[in-house]
Amino acid sequence: MSQEPALSPHRPELVTRGLPPPRPRWLQLAISSDHKDVGRIFIGAALGFLVIGLVEFVLMRLQLIVPQNDLIDSVTFNRLLSVWGPTMLLLFALPLVIGLFTYLVPLQIGARATAFPRLGSLALWLFLIGGAVLYASFSYTPPESGTLGLPPLSDDIAFISNNGVDVWITAVGLVVLGLVLQAVNLVVTTRRMRAPGLAWRRMAPFSFSASVCGWLLIALGPLMLAALTMLQIDRQFDGVFFEAGEGGAPLYYQHLAWLFFTGAYLVMVVSAVGVVSEVLPTFSGKPLLSRGAIAASMVAIAVLGTLAWMQNMFSASIPIGWLYFAMAAALLLVVPLGLVFLNWLATLFSGAVSLRAPMLFALAAISTLSFGLVGELAQSLIPVSWLLADTTGATADTGYVLVGGPVLAGFAALHYWFPKLCGRTMGEGLARLSVLLILVGAHLTFIPMGLAGLDGQPVDVYRFYDVGDLDLYNALSTIGALVLAGGIIVSIVNAAVSVRGGVRAGPDPWGGETLEWFALSPPPPHNFDVVPDVRSAEPMRDIREAIAARPAEEARPTPAPAGEERSERGEPVA
Amino acid sequence: MNALYWVAFVIALLLLIAINAALVGLAMRFRRRRGREPRRLRTRGRTQLLAAGVLSLFAAALFVVGVIFTENASEVEASGPDGLQAAVGKTAQRDIELPAAGEPVPLTIQASGQQWIWRYEYPEGPFSYYELVVPADTAVVLELESTDVVHRWWVPGLAAKVEAVPGQSNRTWFKVNSGELEDDPPSDCPDEFTPVACFDGASYAFSGAAYATMRTRVRVLEPDSYREWHKRQADQIEAAQTYVQQRIASGAAGSGQP
Repeated sequence: MSQEPALSPHRPELVTRGLPPPRPRWLQLAISSDHKDVGRIFIGAALGFLVIGLVEFVLMRLQLIVPQNDLIDSVTFNRLLSVWGPTMLLLFALPLVIGLFTYLVPLQIGARATAFPRLGSLALWLFLIGGAVLYASFSYTPPESGTLGLPPLSDDIAFISNNGVDVWITAVGLVVLGLVLQAVNLVVTTRRMRAPGLAWRRMAPFSFSASVCGWLLIALGPLMLAALTMLQIDRQFDGVFFEAGEGGAPLYYQHLAWLFFTGAYLVMVVSAVGVVSEVLPTFSGKPLLSRGAIAASMVAIAVLGTLAWMQNMFSASIPIGWLYFAMAAALLLVVPLGLVFLNWLATLFSGAVSLRAPMLFALAAISTLSFGLVGELAQSLIPVSWLLADTTGATADTGYVLVGGPVLAGFAALHYWFPKLCGRTMGEGLARLSVLLILVGAHLTFIPMGLAGLDGQPVDVYRFYDVGDLDLYNALSTIGALVLAGGIIVSIVNAAVSVRGGVRAGPDPWGGETLEWFALSPPPPHNFDVVPDVRSAEPMRDIREAIAARPAEEARPTPAPAGEERSERGEPVA
Repeated sequence: MNALYWVAFVIALLLLIAINAALVGLAMRFRRRRGREPRRLRTRGRTQLLAAGVLSLFAAALFVVGVIFTENASEVEASGPDGLQAAVGKTAQRDIELPAAGEPVPLTIQASGQQWIWRYEYPEGPFSYYELVVPADTAVVLELESTDVVHRWWVPGLAAKVEAVPGQSNRTWFKVNSGELEDDPPSDCPDEFTPVACFDGASYAFSGAAYATMRTRVRVLEPDSYREWHKRQADQIEAAQTYVQQRIASGAAGSGQP
């Protein structure tokens, strides 16, 4: 060792004996707690599970293409169904949303990391292990207790004696635990890690929705964990939580499970509101009409929607007063949702709309969400629900929200922030094709499905009987499902190809007004060299104006990597 | 109930047309063009509050309509003059309101869901599986319970969907007015006792392997035919039971059978 400099003993000291050998890339990713790595894996895995879920969906629709079809037998169908439910909701929809939040919220609020980086890593691995446990069951016995796992079917060994239900409980439990932990992380991050000056009233709608969704998961996720624990105790350790006649009640599980699934549904809606409220202003060239109203609406949607959990249980034996309470809460949702739609439409008014890929997806998301939410509004009326609940009509409504929320709004987010994720943009041509196919496919799947529900086709059946026009409706719905799946696959292929092959994008390809566009694309591990002071709800606008106001020789484009020539909007100069 | 469905359907359709037409119209009308700057609009809080107020009124109106229709649907109509005049009835009721004293008592039938068939038990003993036979112009109260897992009973066009849960009793009611029927019974409906109408239904709660096959049918007979059917069903069940008991007594039905 050479002569040491004379430094104060209190100064931090860096001692190294040469650089450690670099870890392989996959190991680096697996143990990374950087929110960007965690977010990327969340998003990538969610899209992978979406493909698997689509395959299962198409298989089930093929079984339902003609009446009394024998393509798939009942037990196999029920296994596909029981795996498909958690796959779509817990392995695709929520992780995609959580992944986008994890990647973008620190960037949007000018933070260098999430509040609990290691917690994010743990959450990611709980989610991945949960998914692996669910799919590992295909090597022995997959679950066959339906999408909800309702007791007594699921909790009494006498009804389903194999290990499938235990796998379902374990996998769902692991994933929900992971999501709740990451929700804690997001809530604390949005509360404690905002850049100086970034008050709640200046917060980007997407980050605000992260906070609301985080609270929803924190409040309602543990209820599902409790329900699953009780279910497992009932199953394996002679518990009687959900057993009638021994002090328990099957209805108890329904309440807990519906509370959680309602929360998950609301996360899909609120996150879609967050995404669309980012994309719409950017591609209309003007700010969101009222960010305050949108933010308040998000909170109201979360609170009222949670209180309306019994909207799913109108056929259960619950005193009518409580059903009226649920109906009131569900109908009141029309106020915040109506405000959101009105503000979106007003944001388009006298704007300069540019129909780039993210905007197309966002507009398609608004339209598709309107179908699902209006259908759900109709089903909030108790007598209408007595007809449509638990028929394929209810499935169609939920399907519209699943396609409008995580799929279309999720893809809008993916196209919008893909430059921030990978430094490249996704192909416009494939994006247009994908939007078209998804819209056509969704309506062709769900409108006949709704009509079939009105004719009395039950939900989740492995075969149907030729009553009325059910054969026509189901055939159309299956064709629609193929188109819908095709449209979604086009976008996933587009994303996969664009990771390496997309057009290079600068830090700010769309002219966005929020802080994530201040960072490089993709951002360095510490996100920002300088954490900016925020003085308004549109910090990037202030930064651009400040740069424009500088003397000419000092003016430089927004922080672009040295050595690459960029135009003012950050696009590569041809 | 069906009336409210169509009201809701029309409201939903109008809302959908309004939202989507506005969306497409605005996106087309305000495409980005050279020489036109977007206008940075602002609203005042009062505008938003006004919109919220109007929407609240809409929600309140829907709620009132919903409650009225729910109350109407829960109130059991009296049986018509041509209907079966049942002699006995139970009075301890919950959630559905029975007709006042002095009016004809509705016919009460116990329905029990079990994997994967519906069992119906009629007053004075007889029972049937899969098919529910009821008299026309008569209010029928169905008391639902389950012997194993959760089931849901619904016959499109008849009653509200209700859950059959083990350990809990749940009820619904319906009445088929023979004067209001438009179609003849479908061809797959058995001709016995010349039914007035036939309705197909099913179970609507996932209940395991053969859930999709757990269907049901409601066959509506004229009250006189219903009495005949009821008597024949009772006789046949009694005959079958007598036969089985004789076989057991003579030791021919296999040992170990209770």
